[in-house]
Amino acid sequence: MLDFMENVQNAFYEASHWNLDNSYGALNTTARALLDFQIPQGLRLQISSLAAPNFATSYTLGSVGVVDGSVSYLYSSLPLRKEFKSSHIDLKNVIRGYKHVQDLRRPDDYWSWELWHAGKRVDRKDTLLYGRVFLPQSRLEALYLRRLAPTRQLRIAAVSDSNLNNGGTILALLQNDVGKYSTECMYSTDSALMGVRGLYNFGPDPRNAPTEPTSVDQVEPVHGRFSAGAELYYGLLNKSGGISTGLRFTTLPNHQGFPYTMTLTLNPLMGNLSSTYAVKAGSSLALCSRFDFNFYSYESELQLGCELWRRRNTTDIDWAMKKLRPDWKQRTISPDDDVSGVLKARVNQDWHVGVLWEGRIKELLFTLGASLDLKKREQIFRSVGLELQYSS
Amino acid sequence: MAFNFNWSPLLADTSRARDMLTTALNKSPKPPIIVDDIIVTELNLGSTPPELEILEIGDLAEDRFRGIFKMSYTGDAFLTLKTKVQVNPLKTHLSTKPDFASPQPLAAASGLTIPLSITLSNFRLSGFVILVFSKQKGLTLVFRNDPLESLKVSSTFDSIPFVRDYLQKVIEEQLRVLFMEDLPAIIHRLSLRLCSPEFQEMEEERLEGTKDGAAAVDPFATPPQDAVDAFGNPLDESQISEIALDPVGEIHASFSQKNILRLAALSESQRTLSLFTPGIRDAVFRAWAGPDRDASGTATPALTRGSLSRIQSTFGTMRSGASSIASGSQGTHETHDTHDSRPTVSSTTYSMSGLTLGAGRSRTGGLRKRKKRVVDLRKKTTEAGADTGSVDGQSEMASTYASETSSAVHEDKDAGEVATPPRSPARPGLQHEGPHGILDYGEPSTLAENTASTDTLLPAAPLLSEPPRMSRSKAKEHETYGDETIKARPSSRRPPLSHNQIRQAQQSTSPLLRSLSFDKIAFISPPNEAESSGGILEQAWMTKMAQEIARKVQQEKDRASRDVSPVARGSKGPAGGIWASEDELEAPPAYVA
Repeated sequence: MLDFMENVQNAFYEASHWNLDNSYGALNTTARALLDFQIPQGLRLQISSLAAPNFATSYTLGSVGVVDGSVSYLYSSLPLRKEFKSSHIDLKNVIRGYKHVQDLRRPDDYWSWELWHAGKRVDRKDTLLYGRVFLPQSRLEALYLRRLAPTRQLRIAAVSDSNLNNGGTILALLQNDVGKYSTECMYSTDSALMGVRGLYNFGPDPRNAPTEPTSVDQVEPVHGRFSAGAELYYGLLNKSGGISTGLRFTTLPNHQGFPYTMTLTLNPLMGNLSSTYAVKAGSSLALCSRFDFNFYSYESELQLGCELWRRRNTTDIDWAMKKLRPDWKQRTISPDDDVSGVLKARVNQDWHVGVLWEGRIKELLFTLGASLDLKKREQIFRSVGLELQYSS
Repeated sequence: MAFNFNWSPLLADTSRARDMLTTALNKSPKPPIIVDDIIVTELNLGSTPPELEILEIGDLAEDRFRGIFKMSYTGDAFLTLKTKVQVNPLKTHLSTKPDFASPQPLAAASGLTIPLSITLSNFRLSGFVILVFSKQKGLTLVFRNDPLESLKVSSTFDSIPFVRDYLQKVIEEQLRVLFMEDLPAIIHRLSLRLCSPEFQEMEEERLEGTKDGAAAVDPFATPPQDAVDAFGNPLDESQISEIALDPVGEIHASFSQKNILRLAALSESQRTLSLFTPGIRDAVFRAWAGPDRDASGTATPALTRGSLSRIQSTFGTMRSGASSIASGSQGTHETHDTHDSRPTVSSTTYSMSGLTLGAGRSRTGGLRKRKKRVVDLRKKTTEAGADTGSVDGQSEMASTYASETSSAVHEDKDAGEVATPPRSPARPGLQHEGPHGILDYGEPSTLAENTASTDTLLPAAPLLSEPPRMSRSKAKEHETYGDETIKARPSSRRPPLSHNQIRQAQQSTSPLLRSLSFDKIAFISPPNEAESSGGILEQAWMTKMAQEIARKVQQEKDRASRDVSPVARGSKGPAGGIWASEDELEAPPAYVA
């Protein structure tokens, strides 16, 4: 389940029209959500609030052996009007699951951001500031996010911790997204790591679409999208690097059959080949599999995962719904409005099982998880955890 | 002077050293590049011994040695390790960094683990070694400085310069730790194994013990296979079961062999004229304690305390009925006094019995009498104390007369409980064993504490209650036993009492006589009847008596008040019950008038 602060940051991206998914780093989001979900450890409580549309606070208290906690503050220059109350929040927004890739949208025009007042430009660039202090460790996380332009964003993340080399690390990330393609450049102070990432979407360019005067019936609807990307890293100080390329095919919302996503990533340096296949088999079921193979060491790994959405039982009011006259105006219920919880499970070839149940009790969002090792009969449970979130 | 340094035996068996090295290498947290256990597959100490130069010899004897050497080694020893490494530098690098500021690569950080075999050779060591050897404690070898000068690491990745350099660096770091910390421990354990066979056995037992948890065979729990008696005749099954299973209970009592020996020594010392007395822990001997301490008493073992509380609780149920009735009758101070005096009677009669036993029938055995002396003459208000006393008496006293008195004690005390709230059982217990101080268990510190607490308690013991006891006992003595026992008591039993206690007793004699009114004396005779009758009847009788006494006292008081104020007389009739009198007492003078 998404952290409150992550949720607020996502809301900022949404409000500033930034597409998080159009990035090489987000190529296999679906597979990660279904297979690499994090299982909480111990007990963790989070109380958070969006005190003002621009300001959010969050307090976390956890106990894994020792009690620790964190305090975090967030400021956004863009007022966030989304619903963040844990009693009303849409679970679909805070639970990571099968990700429906949406149609690419055309980036905002430059002039649309401009705000003129008495002959002078008065608009400010949207900015987000975020800080978090982990208390016993006295570790500080800071984030600076700035929309430089409708197609450009600067993200600077820093961690300050006395246990780290040089007392901390800073990562600067400059992202460009024009819809058809996106590029990212990064620099990390940690071993002077430099990186470049790029993603290219095959198919029609969203920038040209509205300008071309084509009638709707001439253009056949696009059912899927094929994307390719690559990343390259090089550490100046330790003279080592990394490289990977990836392909993805995913169905778009106007696809007739069940939605599915396929990815294939290759690390030619390390000889690692990874393929994932995720399918949304029904309105409340998604399945995913991943197969890793290393053609240098011949090591392979298989992982299976699924998510099952639990819906509120509406059979007791169905008879009443039927009696409504068709011409009466009904409150349109979106297909995922009645979600009450999600059960996620994964297993790999070593019989390591992870189970996660996320949902809502009263006004609390909870995440209950356990990781099991079925090979060890005497000690099956490896870790159990519960996370509770309340926000107002 | 010359040393014969024999290198070759060390070459013989390196398997054990290999195992120890394996555990030592896996003990410390490994760098993220190593993703599997490090296993030592080959260890050869080589044919060239290290050169040792003696710098200092601190201690030299047949079985011990201490010295400082300068060691240099340029031999041909080699060591082969096997493990698995992560060869993706990005993965190992990012695994130690926080996620928040990590670039989070998609697949560039995917791992590749490769089995690695490393051979360490061409060791160049030089350093100062402190060597301490003793036959018992084994060999301790410590490096004063970092001895590793250089070594050659050859591995599977010799062709890749980056990996080779990295491995060389990491392994050198690990080896330095090994030389400075782990090697001394390994050598010490090895030497212990070689030197002292005891340790070897212990170690082996420990190892075996972890392997199979076979329970030790109890020779008494299981009958012997082919049993013969003392004369060599084979025993049949039933006999075996008799000898084998009967003692089981005794054997499993919580006596260790060591404690049994100690107890044997203790009893032995009493039987002989030996002056040796084994030291007993947590014990305070009477000879150590001053007279004050003797009087006030010392700690009792927790055992009696527990039994005390249990006894009290059993009595508590019986008591409740009587107390509820009697509490109503506590109209005046005088009635209170009479109630107070009743338990006094009982405890005194009891203590008398114990004392007379101690004085007159000393031939019945010292041990038993000692227990009976466990009665505090001063502190009669402590009900629980009386309980133990009486219980002790019940269990110990052989004569019927004694048991009778003890039973009387119960009843009287039950009634007495009414007037005095129950005390915590612990404190009475402390005071009880004290005065007799045979062997008072308790640490000196607690002893001092106890004396302090009991000193403060002394005034709490009502003076009025003490005297009646004396008088009662005296009266009773007259009736039952006769004068001589009484006289014997103060002379023979009192000596251990402290000065202030005696003083208190002297003080108490005057209120004693004062409080001895004629009606109380008249009431003394009934206890003899009570002794013979059963518990409930006695209780009923006691409560009835209590009420009667209360009424009598009330009437007396009324009479007195009538003399003083005729107005008050008019307000309440002579037949007015206890309740009326109580009300009247509480009423302020203004209303009375």
